[in-house]
Amino acid sequence: MKNFPKALLLIWGMTLTACEGVFQYNPNQVIFKENETNLNQKNIDRIQAIPLKDTVRFILMGDTQRWYDETDAFVKSANSQKDVAFVVHAGDISDFGLSQEFKWVNKIMVKLNCPYLTVIGNHDLVANGPAAYQKIYGPMNYSFEYGHNKFIFINTNSREYVFNGEVPDINWLQSQLADNPENKNAIVVAHIPPFDGDFDPNLQDDYSGLLANDKNVKFTLYGHQHTFKDGEFYNDGVHYYLTTAMGERGYWLLTTWKGGYKAERIEY
Amino acid sequence: MRKIILLLILFTPLFTSAQIRDDVDASRKWFLPDHIKLQFAGNIGFLSGGPGYISKNRTLETDLLFGFLPQKFGGDALVTTTLKTTYSPWSIPVKSDYYIKPFSLGFYLSYTFGTQFDTKLPSHYPVGYYWWATSFRSGAYIGGKVGKDLTFKNRQRSLEMYYELGTYDLLLISYVQNTGYLRPSDIVNLAIGVRLGF
Repeated sequence: MKNFPKALLLIWGMTLTACEGVFQYNPNQVIFKENETNLNQKNIDRIQAIPLKDTVRFILMGDTQRWYDETDAFVKSANSQKDVAFVVHAGDISDFGLSQEFKWVNKIMVKLNCPYLTVIGNHDLVANGPAAYQKIYGPMNYSFEYGHNKFIFINTNSREYVFNGEVPDINWLQSQLADNPENKNAIVVAHIPPFDGDFDPNLQDDYSGLLANDKNVKFTLYGHQHTFKDGEFYNDGVHYYLTTAMGERGYWLLTTWKGGYKAERIEY
Repeated sequence: MRKIILLLILFTPLFTSAQIRDDVDASRKWFLPDHIKLQFAGNIGFLSGGPGYISKNRTLETDLLFGFLPQKFGGDALVTTTLKTTYSPWSIPVKSDYYIKPFSLGFYLSYTFGTQFDTKLPSHYPVGYYWWATSFRSGAYIGGKVGKDLTFKNRQRSLEMYYELGTYDLLLISYVQNTGYLRPSDIVNLAIGVRLGF
């Protein structure tokens, strides 16, 4: 019994080293391991290392929030699709903005046969979500090029910023679309589509107008509404695709080539 | 400076309690705390501490803990206050001065300070947009402790070490809806602490 404090200290030390995460200090802590940081850029590097083909095939899915069982099933379904270069997560990775949720989703998504990229959703901006998202995934607005495509990821969760006129960042989007000298397919990906009530109504026309007036924009990708939708909602030549939530067990399989694309709705 | 103030807030209960302990003798005032605790982890701070009371039959403890998570360890500096109550129905004597309380069951309600957390949904959201408060968390735990009776300045005192395996509301609901992928161990975390009774 005399050695009890010593024994306890020893057990404590062993537990600390053996089980990462066994001690938690606050639900809103922002603690990630090295292999859980800056994942978007790391995965862009992986994607750009994949040898180019004439067509680029990728998956659009989203809203994993508190649907871990279904997301796990999604990974199995996605891995059965042929020639998928990467998966795009359209946001609402977490439900409560907790680091723990981001870790769980990443743990599932790394079982994909290909890299995945994310765009931030409104639920990811709750509580310490912004800090957690930026730690694990990186900047909220970013872009990259692969083959004949330029992918532009942008934060459109205006309500989380009390519709302050700065989200989405129209100027940034404009400069990203303008910086496309080779006229690649410009594919804008965001969580909330411009016709949704959570998108800043004062920026809706500017945003949809930017896409409509760019001849390289043929289609654009979203999540948020937990249902499949697609159509030319502004009759301006831009086709909007919304993917459903993981809870509804569905996603889009998209194939692009120079000057064209195909979208298939998959349910699993 | 902010750090010093926070540390003072965190440890003030310890100092005041220590003073009280020396000032009073057998005829303790009813409102004086029966013990102080210092806890590591448990989702209420990196370290948390504060005074508490124990029921007459010495099975039910209620504590008010002030916790702090430094930015260095948590990625964000967070201050939390916690109201916590623990029921330990059995006490088993071991040797002369030692005892084991093999099972404890407890609940807590914590409040974390910060402009990014709210208790009521702000008015720029439609009603029911987010259903949970981000400032308050409620949790539950089971655990146990070992203690030693001490006599110090002619008063019977005790020193206990305890552990708690706990979870909280948002993790529990995540688990309940995902029993295929998540395991109970995914939502459980460990806390350890000491209790000084006087």
